[in-house]
This record gives sequence, structure tokens and C-alpha cells, in this order.
Amino acid sequence: MTDTNDGYPAPAPQPPTRWETVQPWITLACRVGLAAVLITAAVTKFPPALSVQAVEAYDLFPTEVAQLIGYTLPLFELALALLLLAGLATRYVGAASALLMVVFIAGIVSAMVRGLNIDCGCFGGGGQVDPGETTYGLSIARDIAFAAMGAFAAIWPRSPFALDRALGLFR
Amino acid sequence: MGSEARKRSREKLREQREKEKRAAKRNRTLIVVGAAVAVVVLVVGIGYAILNSDRSDGYDGPIAAQTLQDDGSVVMAEEGVSAPVVEVYADYQCPACRQFELLNGDVLKEQAAEGNAVVHFRPVSIFAQQPTPISSNSLRAGAAARAAADHGVFVDYNDTLFENQPAEGREGFSVSDLKEWFRETDATDDQAGEFDERIDAEDAVVTEFTEDFLPALTADATEQIGEANIGTMVLTDLIAWGADNGHDPSFLEGTYTGEIIDATGTAYTRYSGENEFRGTPSVYINGELLDNNTAMTARGLTEAIASAGDGEVDTRPMGEDDGGEAE
Repeated sequence: MTDTNDGYPAPAPQPPTRWETVQPWITLACRVGLAAVLITAAVTKFPPALSVQAVEAYDLFPTEVAQLIGYTLPLFELALALLLLAGLATRYVGAASALLMVVFIAGIVSAMVRGLNIDCGCFGGGGQVDPGETTYGLSIARDIAFAAMGAFAAIWPRSPFALDRALGLFR
Repeated sequence: MGSEARKRSREKLREQREKEKRAAKRNRTLIVVGAAVAVVVLVVGIGYAILNSDRSDGYDGPIAAQTLQDDGSVVMAEEGVSAPVVEVYADYQCPACRQFELLNGDVLKEQAAEGNAVVHFRPVSIFAQQPTPISSNSLRAGAAARAAADHGVFVDYNDTLFENQPAEGREGFSVSDLKEWFRETDATDDQAGEFDERIDAEDAVVTEFTEDFLPALTADATEQIGEANIGTMVLTDLIAWGADNGHDPSFLEGTYTGEIIDATGTAYTRYSGENEFRGTPSVYINGELLDNNTAMTARGLTEAIASAGDGEVDTRPMGEDDGGEAE
């Protein structure tokens, strides 16, 4: 769609700017993309016994807490993914997803700083790896990109195919 | 009524309407956010309940007979029973092995006690070449489990080791802890004395192996055959190479440390193709490697055992003299 101006002063309801036209579709792409990422992350963490091991490798939590995180984190990721796909509370779910990524980044940085040699366990796996085989930089860069997608949806929550619209939010 | 007053009242009305509009929007937001939170609680709650239902309820019943095998492994089975053979390869320093033990240790005990399975515990040390203390923890614990097997308490001791597994890279499985844990298995003073002696001897072997022998051997081999080649070599092959090149491994002979290193080397050659031994934990039923979804869920393992036929244990019980001091 192009912005045409027929030379007269713009009438009261202005035609949508290019940004206003494009932004909802970018938000939709962020919602769907982030949901796909979160679903992959949740599914690959199965079975939970291995997910617990990936959490324990960070050496940050007592056994019981690591156990709880190992079991519930994939489910939380799954829930966020479903909400993103449905477009329910897009602003807040986007913010929560971005925040989750920031927490992940903090965890990876802490592992890096403490000189641990672990796999981030972001998409299954996890646990000790050989000193030369850590991929902290890549994992952090990836999580920053995911956080940006969440933040975009949080700042500009208006998007098509969203329950929010039906409920009168972010029209 | 003056026009001034009319204007004021109109103004008020508009403000009122604005206010209502804002309140309505706030309410909509609250409802939507509430719905989203409800979805999260539901998904996490129901999912957690489902995942948790997979954990076994624990097993406190009697443990099936434990028979030490000629390679230092242990078979747990009811006398004379024919059932699927479940082989469990684990390293005491391996976190995923600990998770397996915590999740399915009781399942195995129960299945063996009910005569549904012949459980073959095959401790290995895949971490023997890692830096200390990972390597030394792994070897010392493996040797201690073997010493406990001499006194028929392998299964209990195996549990204790995994429950007390040190974080990777931390000192752990100390000699004094290992001795203490053995006493907790209701050992007699004589048995404890024998066990202590064994642990002290093994500890010295582990120290020599991890701090002197292996670093020297690795440095030499790196120089002569290259790092890439060593990377593809199993530890036992590296030791065999060293034996021909001035690194005498005879101090390992007859020790449980040497035995677990040998057992690990053998594991790499025991299976082929898809079933190849690649790391720990590895769980096999009748020689077939289980995938993670089967081995690392209680339901998966239970069903795999139930659907398998009878198997054969591929080792023999240790001779009548119970050769603890194998020569």
C-alpha cells in the first residue's frame, strides 16, 4: 500500500502511515517466530530428568529447586508459546518472553564468568562439555535476538489474528 | 441556567465519559491479563501433574540377590529367574547418570525383586581422562562401588554414591566419606577394616594414575602420534600404546581402578551399529540401546522391560573364591 497525498490538507482520519500498515505484520511475525522457538525449546527439553540435569549443570540452585525448574521451565515456555500464538495479552506475554530471555542470558553469562564448561541446555542437551566446545557467545546472541522479538511485541502489541482484538485490546 | 453553567455541566459529563472509557479499558486489560495468567497456571499445573505422575512411588521392599561378576559388574536378580536383561552403564561423576538413578533406580529394584528383570549394573569411568578432580572422583567412586560389591552391598552403595555426587569440577567422594558410607550399610568391623584398606590402596592408585601416569602418557602420545589421533583412542588403547612406549601401567594390575578402566574400554567394543556404547548413562535391554525417552522416563523403562523377551547375561559370576584380590 502506498501513501498518496492528493495535494489537499489531510482530512481528519489520516490514511495510515507506512509504519502503521507494516507494524502489525512484524508483530505477528515476532509472535509466531518466538512461539516456534519456545515450542522447540520446550519439546527438546523432554524428558524432564535430562532437563533437570541441564539446570543442575549451572550449579546455581539447590537440588530441589533445580528439580522444580527442570520440570516446570519447559511447561512455562510452552504456555508462553500458546499465548503468543493466540495473541492473548500480547503486550504482557511479549514482555514476559523478553524477560525470560534476559534471565537465560544472565544464567549463561554467570556460567561463562565462573569458568564452567557447559552446554546452555537451551534446546535440550545441557551439562558438561569439553572446554573447547562451549558456545556461550552464540547462545547469548541467539537469546538477544529472541528477547528483541519479545520486546517488539511488547512495545507494539497491535497485530492481526489476535484474541486481543476480539476482546477490544490493541485494535 | 446561564450558558456558563451549561458549559460546566457539559464539561463534567465529558470528563465522566472519559473516565468511564479509561476504566473500561483498564478492566479489559485486567481481564485479558487474568486470562493469560490462567492459561499459564493451567498449562504449567496440568503439565507438572502429568510429568510428575511418571516418577515412581519409590521402592522400599527387599532387594533381589546381587551377584558379583568376573569383570567387576554386578547382577541383581531373583535366583534362577529368566527375564529381560537390563544393562546399566553409569559413571558416578556423570550428572545424567545421577538423574537416571534418582528417577529409575527404584523401578529397577522393584522389577528385579518381582522377577520381571535381570538388572546388570556395569559401572564405567568415561571421565577417567578428564581433568582432576572429575577424573579422580569418577575413578575413586567406581573403585569404591566395586569394593562394596565384595561385601554384597553394591546396590545400596551405588545409591549412596549417586545421592552424594559432587558437582562436576568439585572435590568429592573423599576417602573418609567413602569409608563412612560403607559403615552405613551395616558392615561389620572386619568388613569395614577390609574396605578401608582397599579404599586407601585404590586412592593411591587413582592419584598416581590421574596426577602422574596419565599426564605424562598423554603428553608423550600427543607428541608422537598427534592430538587428533588420541582424540579417537579409547583410554585402554592409549594405555596399551604407552605400555610399548615406556609408560608401564603395571601399577593398575589387580586394582579396582584398573578394572573399571578395562570395563570402560570393553564397553566401547561390546556393541556395534546403532547400539554402540557412546557415553553414560546407557541402558540396554537384551543388548539393545534404549533412547532417552525410554530410559529416562519411569513409564518408558517399565514398558520396555514388560515388552522384552528373556535375555542372557554375558558375564559369569566371580569364582567361588570370590577373588577380591584378583591376580
